[in-house]
This record gives sequence, C-alpha cells and structure tokens, in this order.
Amino acid sequence: MNAYIPVLLFIVIAIAFPLITFVFAWILRAGRYDPIKLEPYECGNPITSEAHDYRFSVRYYLIAVLFVVFDVETVFLFPWAVMFRKLALFGFVEMLVFIGILVVGYVYAWRRGALQWV
Amino acid sequence: MRADLIALLPELMLATLAMAVLLAGLASGKARHGLLGAGAVLALAATGVTLWLAAGATDPGAHFFSGMFVLDHFAIFFKALFLLTAALVVLLSHDYLKRNDYRPGEYLALVMFATVGMMTMASGVNLAVIYVGLELMALSTYILAGYFRREVKSHEAAAKYFVLGAMSSGILLYGLSLIYGATGTLDLATLARVLASAKPGPSALVGVALLACGFLFKVAAVPFHVWTPDVYEGAPTPITAFMSVGPKAAAFAMFLRVFIGGLAPLAASWIWLVGVAAALTMIWGNVAALTQDNVKRMLAYSSIAHAGYALVGLVAGGPAGVNSVLFYMLVYTVTNIGAFGFVILLESRGYAGETVADYAGLARRHPAAAFGMLLFMLSLGGIPPTAGFMGKLYLFAAAVNAGYVWLVVVAVLMSAVSLYYYLRIVLQMYLREGDGAEPATLVAAPWTERVIWACGVAVLVIGLLPAPFLAAARAMAGAVGLL
Amino acid sequence: MPTDFLLSAIVLTPGVVGLLLLATPREAVRLQRWVSLLASVATLVFAAVAWSRIDPANASFQFVEARTWLPSLGIGYRLGMDGISLVLVLLTALLQPIVFISSWRSIHDKVKGYVVAMLLLETGVLGAFLATDMFLFYVFWELMLVPMYFIIGVWGGERRIYAAVKFVLFTLAGSLLMLVAIIYLSFVFHSQTGTWSFAYEDMLRASVPMGQGFWHSPQMLLFAAFALAFAIKVPIFPLHTWLPDAHTEAPTGGSIILAGVLLKLGTYGLLRFNRPLFPEAWQRATPLFLTLAVIGIVYGALVAWAQKDMKKLVAYSSVTHMGFIVLGLFAGTLTSTQGALLQMVNHGLSTGALFLLVGVVYDRRHTRMIEDFGGLAAVMPLYTGAFLIATLSSIGLPGLNGFVGEFLILTGAFPRHPAVVAVAATGVVLGAVYMLSLVRRVFWNPLAIEANRSLPDLTWREVLAFAPLAFFMVWIGVHPGTFLSLSEAAVRRLIGG
Repeated sequence: MNAYIPVLLFIVIAIAFPLITFVFAWILRAGRYDPIKLEPYECGNPITSEAHDYRFSVRYYLIAVLFVVFDVETVFLFPWAVMFRKLALFGFVEMLVFIGILVVGYVYAWRRGALQWV
Repeated sequence: MRADLIALLPELMLATLAMAVLLAGLASGKARHGLLGAGAVLALAATGVTLWLAAGATDPGAHFFSGMFVLDHFAIFFKALFLLTAALVVLLSHDYLKRNDYRPGEYLALVMFATVGMMTMASGVNLAVIYVGLELMALSTYILAGYFRREVKSHEAAAKYFVLGAMSSGILLYGLSLIYGATGTLDLATLARVLASAKPGPSALVGVALLACGFLFKVAAVPFHVWTPDVYEGAPTPITAFMSVGPKAAAFAMFLRVFIGGLAPLAASWIWLVGVAAALTMIWGNVAALTQDNVKRMLAYSSIAHAGYALVGLVAGGPAGVNSVLFYMLVYTVTNIGAFGFVILLESRGYAGETVADYAGLARRHPAAAFGMLLFMLSLGGIPPTAGFMGKLYLFAAAVNAGYVWLVVVAVLMSAVSLYYYLRIVLQMYLREGDGAEPATLVAAPWTERVIWACGVAVLVIGLLPAPFLAAARAMAGAVGLL
Repeated sequence: MPTDFLLSAIVLTPGVVGLLLLATPREAVRLQRWVSLLASVATLVFAAVAWSRIDPANASFQFVEARTWLPSLGIGYRLGMDGISLVLVLLTALLQPIVFISSWRSIHDKVKGYVVAMLLLETGVLGAFLATDMFLFYVFWELMLVPMYFIIGVWGGERRIYAAVKFVLFTLAGSLLMLVAIIYLSFVFHSQTGTWSFAYEDMLRASVPMGQGFWHSPQMLLFAAFALAFAIKVPIFPLHTWLPDAHTEAPTGGSIILAGVLLKLGTYGLLRFNRPLFPEAWQRATPLFLTLAVIGIVYGALVAWAQKDMKKLVAYSSVTHMGFIVLGLFAGTLTSTQGALLQMVNHGLSTGALFLLVGVVYDRRHTRMIEDFGGLAAVMPLYTGAFLIATLSSIGLPGLNGFVGEFLILTGAFPRHPAVVAVAATGVVLGAVYMLSLVRRVFWNPLAIEANRSLPDLTWREVLAFAPLAFFMVWIGVHPGTFLSLSEAAVRRLIGG
C-alpha cells in the first residue's frame, strides 16, 4: 500500500497547485475592467470580426497534422534514449531505421509542397 | 536474429521498395506512369522471388521474433496470392491512372504498403502483430478509396470506409483486449492452450464475439456489410478490384488463423455464429444484387455473397475446409480482377459506363472482351468448366464432409439466384442491341486487356485442370496446424 | 479402327471443332456452315462405328476410358457406353446434322455463334450420355446450359429473353441440388469404404441408408434431389411450365434439339441414376411419379388440343409423350422400361420431325397460327405427306415407331398398374384427336388465305433433313428388334431383373 502514497501525493499537488494559483490571482489582481481589457487578444490589435465568421486556410490544418505526426513520433525516442545502453547496437540500428522512415515521410511532405505557404 | 530477419525479408523488402516508389514518384511527377508502374511490378516480382528464397531458407514450423511471426505454408500461399493480386491491380491501374490523369507514385506505393500489411496479417501468430498488419492494410486502402480527389463519390467512399473501418477496428481491438484480459496472452498457441485447459469465462466469450464481429466486418459479411456497396461504387475501379480480393483474402487469412487456430477450443460457441452469418451473407448478398443496376454495386453485393461462400469453408474447418478456402480465394481473385478489368475498359472520361444497360450489344462491338466477361460471369456463377465451379465444389465438398449439409443447400440455392444477375450482364452483352444514340464502347487500354486475357486463361485452366492448384493449396493448408 | 479413344472422339469432336470455328472471321459463313455440318456428320460416323463394334449381350460399359482428373477426390474423366447410352447417342448424333441442314437458310444472322453454340451443346449432351463419373456427368450437364441459353436468347422469337432466362433458372435450380446430392453420395461412399470416388460403378456399391420418413431418410432426400433435376428436364407435371416458353421461342434447330435430345436427359438420368442408386426410394416414390405421369399425359393432351399456335401444340404434345416415358420407367418391368427407352428415341424422331416441319412453314409465312393456314394439301403435296408421316408416327399408328413404344409401355405396365394404364390410354386417344385435328385444319380446310396459294413445296434441302427421320420411323416401326436388342442387357442390369 505504501507504494501508492507518492501517487496520492501527486494527485493532491496536481489539484492544489492550480487552485492556489487561482486564489492568489483573485486576491491580488486590480479588478479594473474596460472594453479594451475585455478583448480576446490583449495586445493592442483591433478585432476585425467574430472568430467563427473568419475562415482559416486549410493549410493551418495541414501544418497542424504534420506537427502532430512528427511530434508524436518523437515520443518513441524517449524510451529508446532511456534504454540506450541496454539495447546497444541493435537499438541504435533500429532507431536509425525508424528515423529513416520518418525522413522519407518528411521528404515526401516537403517535396509535395506541404510545408509551403502559397 | 538472422533467421528472424530472413523470415521477415519479403515484407522488409517490399516496404523499402514502396518507399522508393513513393520518392521516385515525387521526382518524376505525373509524366512517368510507365516507368513507375514497371518499377512497382518489378518490386512485387522481386518480393515474390525473395519470398521463395526466404521460404526455402527457413523452417516452416519455426516461430520468429519471440514466437510472434511464422512463415509456414499457409502464410506463403497467402503472401504469393497477395503479391499476385497487387501485381495484377498495378497492371490494371496503369491505363486507368493515365486516362484519368492522377499521380501514380503515391497510388502505387499505397498499394504496396497495403500488400505489406496483408502479408504481415498472414504471418502473424500473435494478435498484436495481426492487428498491426491489419491497420497498415486498412489505412492504405482508406486513402486509396478516396484517391480520386476530383470526384465526390470517391470522397464519400473514403469517408464511409474510414469511419466504419475505424469503428470495426475499435470493436476488434476491444475484443482483443477482453481476450487478453481473460487469458493473459495474445499469442495464438498459448491462447489455444489456456482456452482448452479451463472453462472460458464470460469476458472471453464476449471477446470472441466482438472479434468475430470485427472480422465479419472486414470480410464484408452480413450484417456488417452495409459499407461495401457505397465504397465499392465510389472508389476508383482498380481499387475496388483490389479491395474485393486482396484485403478480403487477407481478412480470411487472419480469420482462419485466429478462429481455426487460436480459438479452436471455443469452436462450439462461435461456429453457429459464423454459420448463421455465412447463411445470411449468401442470402442477402445475392438477393440484394438482383436489383442493382449499377455494375460496380452489383459486383459489390456479389463479393458479399462470395464472402458468404468462403465462410462456409471456414465453418467446415479442418484441413479440407481451410484448403477449400485457400483455393477459393485464388479462384475468386483471378475471376473478380478479370471482371473489374472489364468494367474499367468500359469507363472513359465523362462517361461512367457503369449501368447494366451500358453493356447492351457489346458482344457485337467487342467480341473478344465480351467473351472474357462471359467467362468471368460464369465463373462467379459457378458454372463448369470455369474456375468458380471448382472452387465452389471444394467448399461444398468440405462442408458436406463436416456435416453442414443445410449450409450447402443454402449455398447452392443462392448460387442459382446469383446466376440470374450474372446472366443479366451476359444477356445485355449478347442478346440485346445498344439502342442509345451513342452506344458505349471500350476504351483502348492495352495493359488492362492483357490482365483480362491472363485472368480469362487462368479461369479456364483452373476450371479444367484444377489438380495442381489444389495440390498447392492442400500442401499449404494441410502441412501445419496454423499455429 | 481402334476403339481406345472412340468415346472421346464422339464426345469431343463437335466441341473442339466448335471452339476452332470461334477463331474464324465473322464473314466466313459458308465455311462455318460446312465445317459444322461435317463435324456433326463425323460424330455420327463415330457413333455408327460404336454401334457396329458394341457387344449388346454385354451389360457393362464398353469402350471404357478412364483418366484421373482430380485425384484427391477420386474424380476422373471416365467414359463408357452400354446399350442404353448407345441408342441415345445415335439419336443425338443423327439429329445434329439435321439441325444444321434445316437451319442452313433460316439462320442467317450471327451464323458463327449459332453453329458454335450448337456444337458445344452436342458435346454437352453426348458427354452426359457417356459419362460414367458422377462429377463428369454433372459438368457435361451444366455445359449444356449456356449454349442453350444463347440459342434461345439470340436466335429465338419475340419473348426469347424471358424464355431463355426461365429455362436457365428452372434447370439450374434443379441441377445444383443434384450437385449437393452427388457430393453427399460420394461422401457416403467415402464413409463406407474410406476412399474417395465419384465413379458411377463405385456409387452403385454405396448403399445409402433408407432411414425413417422423408426428412430423416438420406436415400429419400438424395433420390429427391436427383429426381428434381431430372423431373425439371423431362419435364414432369407440374414442373413443365418452362417447356412451352422455351420451345415456342427457340429457333427451329433449338426446338429440335431441345425436344429431341435434351428432354431425354431427364428420363435417361432417372433410369441411369435414380433407379439403381436408390432402389428403395424408387419403390416408395413410384405411386407419386405414376400419378404425375398420368396427369401429365392427360393434361398435356388437353392443353395441346386447345392451342392455336402449331409450335405450342407440338410442345405440349411433348409433355404427353414424356409422361408416357416416365410411366414406362416407373412401371418398372423390363418390357415397360425397354418401351420407355424406345419411346425416348421415337419422341426424338417424331417431335423433331414435327418441329422441323413447323419451321418450314414458319420460314415461308412467318406465322405459326393454325388459323393462318388451311388447304395446304393442294399447294404443298410433298410437305403434306411428310407432315402426315410425322403425325402418324407421333400418335402411334401401327407400322410406325410410336406405336411400338407406346404398346410396350402400356403392356409392360398393365399387369402391375392396370388403372394407371387405363387412364394413360385415353392420352393415346386424345393424342390422335388433337394431332389429326391439327392436320385437318392446316391441310384440308378450305384454302381461304391468299398468301397460302403460292407457298413453295419442300426444297431438296428440307427433304434431305426429313428423310433420315422418316427412314428411322419406318425402321423402328417395322423391326424394333434391331434397337430393342441393343439395350436389353443393359436395361436388365439397371432394373435388376
């Protein structure tokens, strides 16, 4: 049972941290509102229209998908890095193959113009 | 390690070559259809040779990669069949892609990736490996179904195929996890031992039922068939041909391996399920095909019905049943690819050429091609002396032998029904004259025609002299117990 | 001449020539006509050689050919001939050249397809008569389906497509169940002996359990599956409805083959397979089949009487005649069975001749309605004579072939089933009534219609087609012993008497 105490602690901290942050912010902030302050982007640029009136270019999605694909693939690199010594040469070659396949995909996406913003 | 890699060499090689084709397609753009097509066919042929060498260099009874992968005769038969299918489809696609002005690179690479997936499915003796192969195949075919981006129907086909396919994969995966939870293993041989030694609990049974549902979806059996007509109709026709034979045969390979192999101890609980599904599939597939006016939809329902016939062999079980399914898959592959080849010939830009009425009078305008189509229709209907008849004969003989006479009676009655719609095409071609102002004609497509010729000859040869092919299938199925 | 490949020569000559003709150009019509005629004559010559070489006293199969085909299931290419198959092969081989001669002019569209379909059909028929492997029999049986579909569907009358599809679906529904039965029969043999075989002689040694009732009796079920396929082909009432359609719509040549030969396959199958393979079930089913046969005889005759279309009339007369044959088979005595076999030949000759002659006036007038004719005796004396001979043969006038067959059937059946014979005899009378009234209306009614006044009489080609039929009608009528002696030993063996 003792083994689970760290998990419990982890959960408690995970809940407490944002709560405390919010509470402090609530206490400390100035609380003065004006129209500029209420705008979604608080950076000085005026809003041109409502968010859902505006169409995003489909390229955003393409970029997003590419990002997700390559980002998720890197997840596999972590366990390999952790076990690098144990897997030795076999692991190294295996990971080279893996990255090689990724590179093929990357070259494909690149050459097909997926990274270009026309 | 060395032996492992040798056993996996065909897959490794095909995957590498597929990537090469993909990159080559980038470099050469749209223009080099012939070169890329030839490259893909050569790659598939080289993989075939590698398969032959690898089979010679490994022990068919041995397990590789910690017991996850085998290269037994069963797997070799199916791999050879997949390579043949892929090569025929590539040849079939050549003129079609050119005519419709679509890039060949990705297309060919995806066909090859799907083939790698199918080959993995045939070799996997671990549910996880089989699943990985299945997904590789499925993802590739989802994209291929929607490859004709300029056509709405193709989009619809891809979307439907993807959503329903993903759902079926989910069901399948859930079944796998339940089985894993109940038995603690994904290895088919261990699974068989565990299931045989103890009475299975409810979660294992639910898992088997879900697995059966997922598999029935993949082979397009009733009541999990609803996606088939739309997808087959909308997909590019060579891909329809591919889906109707390749992935279907692969699904049967995994169905046989998992159910006749790993889940054999539970046969009593799944056999009625599959048997009823087989009967429903034959009945509904054939009855629904009767009313179709679109030839691709009709062939879709016909392919549903044929999955039903093959399920009869699965229900029969035993070496004879497995053998008959293997042989039937070979027969169905050459017949159906030939039939779809003819459909491709009839299509041309701006003119779909897909309804039954478009076939009117074709025999007069194109006697040779029409004769080929006659052969394919007779083979699908199971009329001697074509291959389809021999295929059915062996399925039925196995089922009668195993005591499923009722299933065989359903099957033969439905064969009679099926002849009605196959003959509708023959009737249009031979007995009617085209009455429209602009009668349909076949487009010039030399490679498609060559594929049709090859399939036509194969249909006749297998129909008249089936003994060597059967012996091959028998040696494949009989040699090992699938595990 | 060696007889090692005699049967293969008989069976394969038409089909192989047909396939070769497929490669000839479409325009080479003369070549196609002549080659197909020569092929069918060559087949007839081979059949005649078999007739001269066969030993009629020997009841078992002769000129046997056996080659392995699918060794794993014990399926072989096995051919053999006994007296029964000899008689039917002779009939088939005789009718085929006549078909080609009769359609020399009347088929002028797509001649190549027609002769190829006819030749393939002949191979299917001859193969089915000579196959001594159940599986091979089934293959030839199905092989007939496709050519006949095309013959009706391409060269037929107005409703040809409907008729063709109906013909195929009826035939196929029966035959597929027969396939299951064949497989099951082989399975029974396998379970009793441990070896796989589809050879007919082996099947004779398999004893199918009789069981209880119908649904629990393998023998009854197998009998039913075989009998259904054959009964559709014969056709036995009430499965006859495809026949008038198919006959009416088929071209003349197709009708001759259909009536002359294809229907015989049904009765041949009953005799060859149902009788010896399922003896107990045969006994059990006899009352049913006798009843259906008698209904068919009377019903066919009455419906024929009411027909306005000459071809339909002849078609329905086939239902009657086939009823007699079924009656003869199921009555089961040697005499009645021999009569039935002879009647198969007789029906082929007389009905073939009648269809041929109806085709003659159809070619000239493009109508077959009885009311469109009348008084033809004055215009076409030769034709009238020929039609009269065919009619008299059909209704069983002593001295012609029909009489011998019907007489043997009825006398053979009488001791066992007097009531059945009494009813069936009315069919003979009705047959005379409707056929003679047909003759009266067509040939002796007043010559009222102008178009009929100038009809040309039979051409030499039509005489040539009809003459062999008339020759055999008289031969069988005068000396039936020639043919009865051929089949006696074989029939004895099959009925186990």
